[in-house]
Amino acid sequence: MASAVHLDGITKRFPGVVANDDVDLEVERGTVHALLGENGAGKTTLMNVLYGLYEPTSGEVRIDGEPHAFDSPRDAIDVGIGMIHQHFMLVDPMTVTENITLGNEPRKWGGLAVDRAAAREAVVELADRYGFDVDPDARIEDVSVGEQQRVEILKALYRGADTLILDEPTAVLTPQEVEELFDVLDELTAQGKTIIFITHKLGEAMRAADEISVLRDGRKVGTVDAADTSQEALAELMVGREVLLDVDHGTAETGDVVASVSDVVVEDDRGVRAVNDVSFEVRCGEVFGIAGVDGNGQSELIEAVTGLRTPDAGEIRFRGEDVAATSRRERIDAGMAYIPEDRQERGLVMDFDLVENGLLGSQHGPELAANGRIDWSKARSHAESIIDEYDVRPPDADAGSKSLSGGNQQKFIVGREFERDPELVVASHPTRGVDIGSIEFIHERLLELRQQGVAILLVSSKLEEVQGLSDRLAVVYEGEFIDVVDPDETSEEELGLLMAGERPGDGDGDGGGPEATERTDGDETDGDTPANPTGSTDAADGERA
Amino acid sequence: MSAVDRARDAIDRLVDASASERILISTAALVLSVLIGAVLVLVAGRMTTCTAGEAVYYFGTGFCYDPVVVFDRLFLGALGDPFSGNWSPNGQFAVTLRETTVLIFTGLSVALAFRAGIFNIGTQGQMVVGALATALGVLWASSLVSGALGTVVLIPFGLLVGGVFGGLYGAVPGLLKAYADANEVITTIMLNFIATGIALYLVSGVFKDPESAANQTVPLPEFAQFPALLFGARQDFSIVALGFGLLALAALYYVLEHTSFGYDVRTSGVQPEAAEYGGVDAKRTVIASLTLSGALGGIAGAMYVMMILGTFQTGIPSYGFDGITVSILAGNNPLGVGIAALLFGVLKSGTTVVQFATDVPPQLVGVLRGLIILFVAMPEFFRLAARRVPGAGSRPEAVATDGGSATDRGGETDE
Repeated sequence: MASAVHLDGITKRFPGVVANDDVDLEVERGTVHALLGENGAGKTTLMNVLYGLYEPTSGEVRIDGEPHAFDSPRDAIDVGIGMIHQHFMLVDPMTVTENITLGNEPRKWGGLAVDRAAAREAVVELADRYGFDVDPDARIEDVSVGEQQRVEILKALYRGADTLILDEPTAVLTPQEVEELFDVLDELTAQGKTIIFITHKLGEAMRAADEISVLRDGRKVGTVDAADTSQEALAELMVGREVLLDVDHGTAETGDVVASVSDVVVEDDRGVRAVNDVSFEVRCGEVFGIAGVDGNGQSELIEAVTGLRTPDAGEIRFRGEDVAATSRRERIDAGMAYIPEDRQERGLVMDFDLVENGLLGSQHGPELAANGRIDWSKARSHAESIIDEYDVRPPDADAGSKSLSGGNQQKFIVGREFERDPELVVASHPTRGVDIGSIEFIHERLLELRQQGVAILLVSSKLEEVQGLSDRLAVVYEGEFIDVVDPDETSEEELGLLMAGERPGDGDGDGGGPEATERTDGDETDGDTPANPTGSTDAADGERA
Repeated sequence: MSAVDRARDAIDRLVDASASERILISTAALVLSVLIGAVLVLVAGRMTTCTAGEAVYYFGTGFCYDPVVVFDRLFLGALGDPFSGNWSPNGQFAVTLRETTVLIFTGLSVALAFRAGIFNIGTQGQMVVGALATALGVLWASSLVSGALGTVVLIPFGLLVGGVFGGLYGAVPGLLKAYADANEVITTIMLNFIATGIALYLVSGVFKDPESAANQTVPLPEFAQFPALLFGARQDFSIVALGFGLLALAALYYVLEHTSFGYDVRTSGVQPEAAEYGGVDAKRTVIASLTLSGALGGIAGAMYVMMILGTFQTGIPSYGFDGITVSILAGNNPLGVGIAALLFGVLKSGTTVVQFATDVPPQLVGVLRGLIILFVAMPEFFRLAARRVPGAGSRPEAVATDGGSATDRGGETDE
């Protein structure tokens, strides 16, 4: 029998870059195939070729043995290929049923009207067939992220997909939701569907896939059976050398409080409370971690600390001074380094070269720009020393920052911020979208700074990262700190529950979707501000010391 | 898909083009526009009637207008016929340089704002305010000094007054944008009308020259105007003024490329979020760059009064709007503004030469001018526009990064 998907010698060239170089990929029907690789390895490009978004420079796409040339995703969908993007393509104010049937609604009255009853029935039937837990009448904005993802999958199935491509499906999920997703994948393959999922997380590939193909620099370096491999072997395939997966955490002497946040309230751009009455402090030589699913107020909290956003209430002290009202520049000058969560939007000026980017934040400083005049030769040697010390590739200070891969962009930012000789480092998702080799490196540097007595505030949605690096770990849920724990004494399971809003001592540790229950409760009490910290506050007040 | 792909590739290549490639593109565009213009001249010449003696013959067919003559007059005529052996500094070349001088300032005004990410359409209004302030200020001051000393004192004084008032007028939309989030395109357009209206009111009333029928101020004394060195006085051009223009080009280039303020401006212009992250005060940068931009517009007005007109008269030609084209033509680069202003100056002064030398209707010459500007400006315009579209430029980046941004850029269904 022919493979469900057979990519034969796919090469995709962009001006100046070969994104995929003669890649062969065979995926058997009814299996889960993981596509593993570092950033820039060409995973997404390859899948965009399969989904008809890109035309391959050479090579052939065969579906069930038949060669196909796709002009657009429409053609790919017609032969049963569906893609679930990392960022969901759902219409928030519309219901689950409407979203699933959008564009292919059952019609009545000779095609003049949508047959809502038939649509709902089709969705219920589909969900039942695959054992999906979705409410066909709920609005997308009211359901959990995990459920939104299931809706995306149903949408693809409704359009007749036999092969589903999932692009980094776990990036936005809690550990429990990840498990639920893997159960869903099992059910789908049991019914003969084929799954390809893109990831750079080794554990997930091992856990969920039957076979794993590893891409490196646009080439396929191997396909292995998930049962016959180890994380170490996969990491070595991905990076091309041996990698240390565990960081030696060690201990450091903690000292004075460097930064403290008390009773801070921050509103987001829509005027909704994103951070609700949060207090904590960070000491010299300590990593204070904040764990949580993305979108629970971490970004707003960090922006308030670093001066990009004005808090609506509360006090932010840095080295003893209240800085809540001071400008971003004053905070930089006072010794606050900041690795922003979005390197391409904030951390780097994409149109500038590395010399110019090395100056970002220091353009008024006395070292590189005394008296308002920029000393370009000093700026150049500054950039070159960052490139050298932080192994930024290609090692060319004149390279435009957009020509660098994500990992190298991040290394440059990390280098620039660490070289400020900071008192406090605010690191927001410092390794997001970064390959394993660079992750290892960034972690080592962070711990090195801690050893030198720098205070570090770390936010990450990667549990193993915050857990592995932090000395104290706060878990944030809907704008509040659910708990502050010792990461070494807390299991991943327990953290996962906290991240889903389960308060310590709530007793019932039911893993079956606490997130979803919590959200639904919230919306009953307050329909105007879905996905916001109203639902849990009643519970919270009793809890708060 | 493939046609769309090709178009995207072309745009991407345009966005990523290097400086030398851009000069090559502009030159090719210039040649192409001349060729197309030549065809238009021939066609128009075929549709008119003239005597056999006046006609020229190409490919055995007679045409009433000769494209070779037209473009020869447009370009060489504007340069004062440098190859004819009787080139004179009093000739048409001085007119070209006069236009160039004013356009340098309006072009720089627009370019500076553009670099800060602000679309200043108000250069014209800032020029009017600067011109009026200069005329009144210099008139007042000319009663205090006179003679050669007067020239040395009054010219810098006039430029200063023009700059200050133009700058203050530019600061208005800057403040409105920074503190009231008012769109600068709208406010600057409205302020243009206000400037013209107020100038008309003042010059037709209290400041009107009683001797003159026109709405104008009392003429400045001769010593308060730019001296005609090297070039004759007949064409109202002063090499000194051009010297100020070149100085301004170099100064603005230096400010943008070598100062902290320039770094702040450029960063805000290309990526405001990154500028904010890097400690740039967005409000201050907006106000400062619009003030400086207005000051340059005001100096253009001062030049117009002290070099060309010798008085302030209502109905100032649209140098301010031409400055927008000059700036786009130059890719908003201060040094490029010099070249673009020269090309524009050539076209402006060449137009009159063509009208003297041939029977070609002025409308057709206008079309030729428009074609040249359109062709030369379009690649730059697309570059500017495409940079505001997320995902344009540097296709490799979409491939090199994974996760979020890659799907954002790669997924056509996004947004």
